[in-house]
Amino acid sequence: MPDPILSIRDLTVEFETEDGVVQAVTDVTYDLQPGEVLGVVGESGSGKSVSMLSVLGLSPSARIPKGEAIFKGEDLLKLSQKRLREIRGGPMAMIFQDPMTSLNPVLTVGDQIAEAVLTHNLGTSDDDARKRTVELLEVVGVPYAERRVDQHPHEFSGGMRQRAMIAMAIANNPSVLVADEPTTALDVTIQAQIVEVLKAAREETHAAIVLITHDLGLIAELADRVVVMYAGRVVELSDVYTIFNAPRHPYTVGLMNSLARLDAEQEWLEPIPGQPPSMIAPPPGCAFHPRCSFSHGRLVCRTDIPGLRQIGEGAAHHSRCHFAEELEEAHVVAGAAAEEAR
Amino acid sequence: MTEGNGMPHESDELLRVEGLVKHFPIKAGVFKSTVGQVRAVDGVDLTVKKGETLGVVGESGCGKTTLGRTIIKLIDPTAGSIIFDGRDITALGRREMRPVRREIQIVFQDPYASLNPRMTVSEIVAEPLRIHGIYKADGKKRIAELLRTVGLSPEHGNRFPHEFSGGQRQRIGVARALALNPSMIVLDEPVSALDVSIQAQVVNLLASLQNDFGLTYLFIAHDLSVVRHVSDRIAVMYLGKIVEVGSRNEIYDTPMHPYTQALLSAVPIESPNQRGKRSRIVLEGDVPSPADPPSGCRFRTRCWKAQEICAEQEPPLVARDPSKPGLLSACHFAEVMRPLALAADEAPADAPTTTV
Repeated sequence: MPDPILSIRDLTVEFETEDGVVQAVTDVTYDLQPGEVLGVVGESGSGKSVSMLSVLGLSPSARIPKGEAIFKGEDLLKLSQKRLREIRGGPMAMIFQDPMTSLNPVLTVGDQIAEAVLTHNLGTSDDDARKRTVELLEVVGVPYAERRVDQHPHEFSGGMRQRAMIAMAIANNPSVLVADEPTTALDVTIQAQIVEVLKAAREETHAAIVLITHDLGLIAELADRVVVMYAGRVVELSDVYTIFNAPRHPYTVGLMNSLARLDAEQEWLEPIPGQPPSMIAPPPGCAFHPRCSFSHGRLVCRTDIPGLRQIGEGAAHHSRCHFAEELEEAHVVAGAAAEEAR
Repeated sequence: MTEGNGMPHESDELLRVEGLVKHFPIKAGVFKSTVGQVRAVDGVDLTVKKGETLGVVGESGCGKTTLGRTIIKLIDPTAGSIIFDGRDITALGRREMRPVRREIQIVFQDPYASLNPRMTVSEIVAEPLRIHGIYKADGKKRIAELLRTVGLSPEHGNRFPHEFSGGQRQRIGVARALALNPSMIVLDEPVSALDVSIQAQVVNLLASLQNDFGLTYLFIAHDLSVVRHVSDRIAVMYLGKIVEVGSRNEIYDTPMHPYTQALLSAVPIESPNQRGKRSRIVLEGDVPSPADPPSGCRFRTRCWKAQEICAEQEPPLVARDPSKPGLLSACHFAEVMRPLALAADEAPADAPTTTV
């Protein structure tokens, strides 16, 4: 395997609140390989966004007691704000969920994209920056780019704004693109357009993409590998086919089984019982045990936090469950894949 | 069948909406003169039968939320009529609406904004009973029963909304809607704000309540998988109009309107095993402004089938295939396509497709 382009090790992130310390991310470790799409899945509060935002220095109130994030030989967590600013929007760029609030309403869309070009390429002339901006808008499929470059964000629809955000992110040929819920605020027909734009952006830049989302459909379409997070920890990690066809963590299985299916009749859905845990006082042992249908009340689930361990042959599949092998013996296949197998 | 008022009325029909229109004025200038109309709902006909769930789907701005709120008269319609249980409620005033409100309730999308943060859960659920003057001595018992019905415990009653998670708050909203024993509930995106694992809990709760109390639902949502799961029949909205309505299987398996087809084919695949095996219609452009909708068929500006007639004549919402009398489509060129089983080599040549 080639050297990872981004390597996150034992990342722990806390927030001080009135009610106590929120343990948002605990001991998160994963690698991003050059050119791959790594999906990071989890529900709200699972720490999937916070882990990336804190690495990028975009979560100012976060406390990071330990961990490292090595990007091209530098630990992002130890860099000065100045150096981080050079990296963000340059070799590492971001696409956020809400294009309404991420664009400056008083500047034209073109000026904002050109700013990204100029900031990271000192000495570029305004004319060249504008030319590059139009080119970028064309890559992301904004029609009449030559004219729309001078419009303000309010003149763009939600889908067009998200395209402009992607244009800005790929302006400097990043090697890592962090997309945080890039399609969540959009309608389904616009979502389909943006998926195509993300594919085009990947073609254009060959960037590795960290795709943070709660939408398993987006993962099924785009991801090469998947990190599943629950209660601030990585609970499962594997290639996308294994995650869907042979999941080995009860949370992953529960998540896929709880989805309503588009192509099948189901009398009842299969929810995960209970509520997500409090991150101030998480349950002892495995954080998922109060909702787990495979724990069967076993003591070790309530007392010991399971480690993230390798499953089966090869180093690719990891699960944080004491009894991951039982899922294997039971031939657990989840969600849509189970339907196909039938 | 004929009711006493001489209106033809089928006995299994609970709600009938005819020609419903809601326009919002656009005001501008110092004197706030009206410079235009947002045609949020622009001529909607639909019926809901007793005990069924009618799903209403469409993208943001299509008017589905306005439709739901107009039907229960939270907003007064601009034109058209709403007939509930055989009675025209369109022109009823506040006082006359009271008994009707006991029959139709609503659950809102945002469980954070729709519960008063200063009231305890018991007070929130009791409020409809008090307003209707039926919170009697056994009111406490009734509240406890309602909380148990939605999967909360009576002890939760003394707490405040902020102490609950999103899914639990939505249960509180459902308990409040149930308090008056309604026959119909308008569910406006009831699970959209919830995490997937919690969505399934609330969807199951709604289904069992429907079984237990014989409720009729108008289920408004944009999530096509959830709508398929809960609905008996489905109406698809685009720019203030219903473009297609039919049974669940007709809409999902054999839709005839190009917009329904494009909408369904845009839904992400459910497993990576399906990669490369499905064709997707990718619509170009955005939804036009409801303040200035296209002439004729409103979908024509994004439709790959559009011809001259589409700009000139608005296609009526009628049955287009004699073998499917229940499937009504508003398209001049209605034709069956199977968007969820559209193989990579089967895509119609004239449609803008891509391989998933």
